Amino acid sequence: MATQASRAAGRLMISPAVIVLFLWMIVPLGMTIYFSFLRYNLLIPGDHAFAGFENYQFFFTDPNFWPALINTLLLVGGVLLITTVGGILLALLLDQPMFGQGIVRVLVIAPFFVMPTVSALVWKNMFMNPVNGIFGWLANVFGVPPYDFLSQAPLLSIILIVAWQWLPFATLILLTALQSLDSEQLEAAEMDGAGPFSRFFHIMLPHLSRAATVVILIQTIFLLSIFAEILVTTNGGPGNASTNLTYLVYSQSLLQYDVGLGSAGGIVAVILANIVAIFLMRMIGKNLEA
Amino acid sequence: MARASTTQRKIVVTVIAWIIALAIFFPILWTILTSFKTEADAIAIPPKFLNFTWTLDNYITVQERSDYFRHFMNSVIISLGSTVLALIVAIPAAWSMAFVPGKRTKDILMWMLSTKMMPAVGVLIPIYLIFRDWGLLDSRTGLIIVLMLMNLPIVVWMLYTYFKEIPGEILEAARMDGASLGKEILYVLTPMAVPGIASTLLLNIILAWNEAFWTLNLTTSNAAPLSTFIASYSSPEGLFYAKLSAASTMAIAPILILGWFSQKQLVRGLTFGAVK
Repeated sequence: MATQASRAAGRLMISPAVIVLFLWMIVPLGMTIYFSFLRYNLLIPGDHAFAGFENYQFFFTDPNFWPALINTLLLVGGVLLITTVGGILLALLLDQPMFGQGIVRVLVIAPFFVMPTVSALVWKNMFMNPVNGIFGWLANVFGVPPYDFLSQAPLLSIILIVAWQWLPFATLILLTALQSLDSEQLEAAEMDGAGPFSRFFHIMLPHLSRAATVVILIQTIFLLSIFAEILVTTNGGPGNASTNLTYLVYSQSLLQYDVGLGSAGGIVAVILANIVAIFLMRMIGKNLEA
Repeated sequence: MARASTTQRKIVVTVIAWIIALAIFFPILWTILTSFKTEADAIAIPPKFLNFTWTLDNYITVQERSDYFRHFMNSVIISLGSTVLALIVAIPAAWSMAFVPGKRTKDILMWMLSTKMMPAVGVLIPIYLIFRDWGLLDSRTGLIIVLMLMNLPIVVWMLYTYFKEIPGEILEAARMDGASLGKEILYVLTPMAVPGIASTLLLNIILAWNEAFWTLNLTTSNAAPLSTFIASYSSPEGLFYAKLSAASTMAIAPILILGWFSQKQLVRGLTFGAVK
């Protein structure tokens, strides 16, 4: 029943948000696309000649590209695997009656609030350092040679650090979903003689699937852009062993000053993220109608 | 019999849950403990858990050597500034979409969401070059603007889901009683909207405080917030565990406390209302 006047007022109220977001998304993205077709290096002054698809060709044939793409997928996949499976198990555990539930919850959620540079450095130095770290000490206690995590298995180490940060997120969301499950339904199933496993697989898991999908999709968006954890632990190395797409673009553009090549990489990253985004948007859009 | 077994079960669950929770929390606890050690105790093997001389020296040294407080204030100003700015732009938008929805409201919401899906690295170069040309590199103003734009979609969405829950009948009742639009907003809607706005503010401060892509790429020293400052410990300086721990403890403490208060809102905000 909105009147014409209130519609106009409504439009006026939305426009600042729409305009700034439009500028933020369209202008820089347009510039990135434009740069990606230029021969443009900050160290080489002069005009920027049109280069066609040269930058894309260089980007795809860069020896670092395929490793970076694979690392990106491994990083996202590894963290998703740990956090989703771990999150479901933890959520089931935290949903049980226990003493001090509130405190347990608070302790489990805490890592999510630690800034990425802090968690990466704490893990790198105080845990994974083979000489002074806790893991090195534990290895000694058990009589095995200490393991230099970040140089021998850099990507796996980063996966572990990032998984530690995101496990609370998955747990929290899955726990919220679990608590919204109708307890009468579970009781009815129990009365009908359904054991704990069949209750889990036939009632809880289907109920959790929506929340789990949301967890996976949202984490993917963030995990595709992991940057700080790599920068402060390995700088993408040794070699390119822990370079992901985001880090590769950063190093090409801000370390090697190749704007054209970096832009082409940026566009590839955008396309990759958009593939995920389409699925996520559909899920959230469906929810809007409900 | 049945009761005894439930109690037993509860005890077993409690023990398992506490062990896991403490293991997950341990890195944070360890950082806090280490921040009160001397550097020698911090790298002692076997590690000293509580049997060390407690000292506040690290906190004092970190402040003296690197002007810690300035970076702390940068974090406060940048996260608060970007949040308040985002709220100023987002409140009217979310308001009108919730109460005067048009045909395209849903499209606008989805489009706003889609801007959040764009990876930052896709616009890193233009933003960097624009900031360089406009003298915004390493400035708090520049970072406030970028973080505000980055989090704006989440802010609009969160506010929208909260405003949606305010019953429209209340507005009609107020209108019938002859309240003007201004009075309606001031006396009827605002009190009902405050909790939602407060939660949005809280979540957004957390996100802005911990942001570590733009802060690392756009600031170096002057405007560097804590996330950039802590990254400087990735140099050999990071080998001073006790000082790294002191700097880290101060950087995460405010957000840990805020975060624990906002658990529920976190779920809602980060899932764009898809899980409540």
